[in-house]
Order: sequence, then structure tokens, then C-alpha cells
Amino acid sequence: MARSALTTKLLALFASVLLFGLLAPAASAADAMPAMAKKTARPELGASAIFAPDGSLLVAAKQGDHVMIYRTADEGKTWSAPAAVNAQPEAISADGENRPKIAFAADGGLLVSWTHPFPKPNTGAIRLARADDGEHFAAPLTVHRDTAEITHRFESLLTTPDNKVILAWIDKRDLEAAKASKMPYRGAGIYAAVSHDGGRIFQPEFKLADHSCECCRLSSALDRDGAPLFMWRHVYAPNERDHALARLKPAGSLESVKRATFDRWQVDGCPHHGPSLVVDAQGVRHAVWFNQKAGAGHVHYGRLVAQGDELQVEGQLTVGGPRAAHADLGSAGGKLAIAWKEFDGERTQLQAMRSDDGGKTFRTLPLGATDGASDQPRVMRRGEALFAFWRTEKEGFRLFPLP
Amino acid sequence: MKKSVFAFLACLIAMPLQAADFTPLDKAAARQLLDPASHRQPTVVALWSSDCSHCKKNLQLLSTLVKSNPRLRVITLAAEPETANLGPLLDRFQLPGPRYAYGSDNPDAIAYAIDPSWAGELPRTFLFNGAGRKEKVSGVISAPMAEKALGLRF
Repeated sequence: MARSALTTKLLALFASVLLFGLLAPAASAADAMPAMAKKTARPELGASAIFAPDGSLLVAAKQGDHVMIYRTADEGKTWSAPAAVNAQPEAISADGENRPKIAFAADGGLLVSWTHPFPKPNTGAIRLARADDGEHFAAPLTVHRDTAEITHRFESLLTTPDNKVILAWIDKRDLEAAKASKMPYRGAGIYAAVSHDGGRIFQPEFKLADHSCECCRLSSALDRDGAPLFMWRHVYAPNERDHALARLKPAGSLESVKRATFDRWQVDGCPHHGPSLVVDAQGVRHAVWFNQKAGAGHVHYGRLVAQGDELQVEGQLTVGGPRAAHADLGSAGGKLAIAWKEFDGERTQLQAMRSDDGGKTFRTLPLGATDGASDQPRVMRRGEALFAFWRTEKEGFRLFPLP
Repeated sequence: MKKSVFAFLACLIAMPLQAADFTPLDKAAARQLLDPASHRQPTVVALWSSDCSHCKKNLQLLSTLVKSNPRLRVITLAAEPETANLGPLLDRFQLPGPRYAYGSDNPDAIAYAIDPSWAGELPRTFLFNGAGRKEKVSGVISAPMAEKALGLRF
């Protein structure tokens, strides 16, 4: 009896494997849309996207213990079967402020980075994989030398025209050292590692700053003269969670770290809202960030301009309504676009606003909505055109032109 | 045989006393949980997450408060769906009250039902005095502030 039940089960298993094998080619479109993947306990929707030189869109997103690359050549109408970045499975962070990142090195190599969490909560390592041909990835490497089971998370990935690859991340080695010697330490630290060969070999990491916020995403861009910039939420004494902007020298060492926002949100807490930064063709730095100001939380837009040795915010304005969150921005062809999420009481709306005068005036463009969970939106550039990319649990990957 | 049956029954009886599983919270239940009318005794609804280092300070404080105030009820709500590491993170604080985690509704809808003016920052703490008053605070709380808001101290 027991034996025949087992046989039946085996037969059923065999049949389902056979059936899956038969259906697999037809199912590739479904595989390409993670919204249709089997329901997991915790869908981690964090995704990044980039337009390839041939105009196709590449998306990096997590599926189980793999980062997968999804491609579309028709702006999201059809997707190719996904390809795994990491051949060997490993844990990957892709929720909330976490997501895999994707970029092209100057030599054409395709780069994907992610945070690999360790079993201990809030710990991890920054990983990077490179595909010389844009398709076949070498085994991922850890970009830092520090092997301690501590926080190395929330990496930002930046490439430069001279084939440097720079990652910066939240790093708690100095906090751990302070704890061990019973000394106080505000927040966490920011560390960076530089590769001069397109992401194959990294120089030893170095510190950009002490006292960053603990769990907000970082942002990066190239300054007017090509200098690498990183922006993050900082903790200014005693507990003001404003933002800092670091500028690196051409060789990749630290030039300066300056306070970039001045909203003075005092909270001993985790905002879970990181900033976004872009430098336009005229060399103007535009940023969006979330802060409470005078007791009310808002997404803010402003231009980070030099005033002597300091920075100041020019043209600061509120983005969206009281529930606007997780904004991103982009610049192309003289246009500036900001996209953000905003829950309207029923659904999560995707909103955008566009400026044709360098951020002085904007017009709002409602883009879409979803009933379910959703990732943070990203603003994408292809030549002179801008798009908003948004992954939602129910609809999958969505691309919205920003006319 | 008898011994193992007894052990099994003992386990069943002990289960509700042990650190229970998380109850998934949908938006309707969230609205109810955060309604002052739902709380007839001093109650804290403490929002936290596995990512939030500052939340530990509040959970530790509430753990101390609940020991010295038998009337105080502490309800924890993880602002994320349940995962395997959520329980052990909370167990160390030995909080006796109900444990909630985000359910399958749109997380933005759950957050809105909890508090339309909350932007996701953690810790976020709601303090009910049990007589219709609700106070909310973002960030690390202090014992005197909490006791005052809860009506445990005047």
C-alpha cells in the first residue's frame, strides 16, 4: 500500500517534470515577467534597469538565490528568457532600499552588483559580477577586503569614461570597533572601492565618511568635470538626518565631503528613504530626497550649488503630495524628469514631473497605478529620451516614456 | 508511548505561551488596531523592522516598562512580511503581547491604514492611554514620555 502510494507520487513527479520540460519553452515569456512567478512568502521587487548601447533595455532583478538579467528590445512589450548573473546560488538583497544594480563599464563590459546578506541580520558583502561580452558573467567577486560578518550594504555602482568602476556602500566596521571599545559612534560609515580595469580588480577600500545614516540607499553621478560624486543620507550632530555629497579626485581618492541638504530632520530612527542625484549636460547637480521639514515629511527637489567652500540648495521645492515617496530623477536632451510613488488612499500611483528649464518649473505627468506591492521607480535615459521604469508585483516590469 | 503522548500534549498546551507566530496584518485589521476605541487599557503599538537598529532601543525600553506596569499591553508590528529571522529578533525582548507583521495587502495600503501621516520611518510608536487618547512618535522614545502618554504617570 505504502509502496504503491510512493509509486504514484513518483509517477506524478515524473509526469510533472516531463510536462514542465514540454512547457518550458512556451513558459519563457512568463519567466521573463516575475509578477507571474510563483508566489513567495516575501516578494523582493528591487530591480534596476539600463538601456544597452543597442537600445534594448536590460533589467537586473532577484529570482530566488540568483540575480537575473531580463532583456526587452521593444520597450517592455516582450521579454527574453532571463539569464542568471551568478551561476552559484547565493542570498541576495532586493527589497525596500536594496536592489541589484546594473551598469556598463567604459570598455563595454556589463556589470551587476548586489548586497549578499549573511545569516546574521543587517550584515552582508558587496558583490560584483562582470560579463565581458555583455552576456556571460564571470564568477562574482567581493569588492572589499574586510571579511567581517558586519554591515557592508546598500552599494551604489558608478562607472567612468576612463574605465574605472567605483562602488560605495554603508559600512559598520567603525561602529563595531567603537562598540568594542565602548565608545559612542553616530550612525554608520561610507566606504568605497575603486577598480581601474572595468571591474576586474579592485583596490583596497577606503573610507569616504563617518556618521552616515544606517539603511538608506546611496546615489552616484559624474560631476561636470567627470569627478565621481556619491550622495547619501548622513547623521549630522546631534541627530539631523540631512544629506552629504562626496566628490572624488580623478584617480578615485576622496576630495571632499560636504553637507548637501539643510532640512534638519532630527530623529533617532531609520527613514528608509535614500536620495537620488543627477548632473545635467550643463553640469548642474540636481537631487531629490525625502526629509521632514518643520514637522511634515515631503520629497524635496533642489540643485546643489557651490557657495564658496560650502554647498547650498537652490530652487528647493516639494515634489508631489504628502504621501509622495522614493523619488528618482534623470536628465537628457535639456529635460529633467522626476518620478515617484504616491499612495492615494486606494492605490499606489506612479507620478512624474518634467522640467524644460533646468528645474525652475515643472509640469506633472500621471503615469500609472497598481493595487499591489511595488518597487521604487527609476528614471532611465536612452539618448535624448527619458523613461520611468517601475516594477510592480501584479503587472511586472513597466516602462513609461516621459515625453 | 504514554510519555511521548504526554510530551506532545504538553507541547500543545505550552504553544500559546511560547513566542507565537506573527499574525499577518491586512489594511482593515491595521485600521482597527490603530483605533483608540480598540484599546481599553494602556497599550503600545510598536512598529519595527529587521533593518531598523534604533527599533531595538524602543523594544528594550518597552520590555522594561511592561515588567513594571502589569496593566500595560505591548503589541509589536513588523513593517515587513514575516520571515524566518523576524521571530528570533523579537524573542530576545521577551515581550508578552501579540505580534503582527505585514500581510499580503499592498504595503503602501497597510502603511496608510496604520497612519496616513507616517512616511515609513522607524521606529514608529503609537501610545494609547486606554481612554481614547492616542499619541504617535517617530524615533527613540524615553520612559517618562511613554509613561505619560500611556497614562501610567501623570
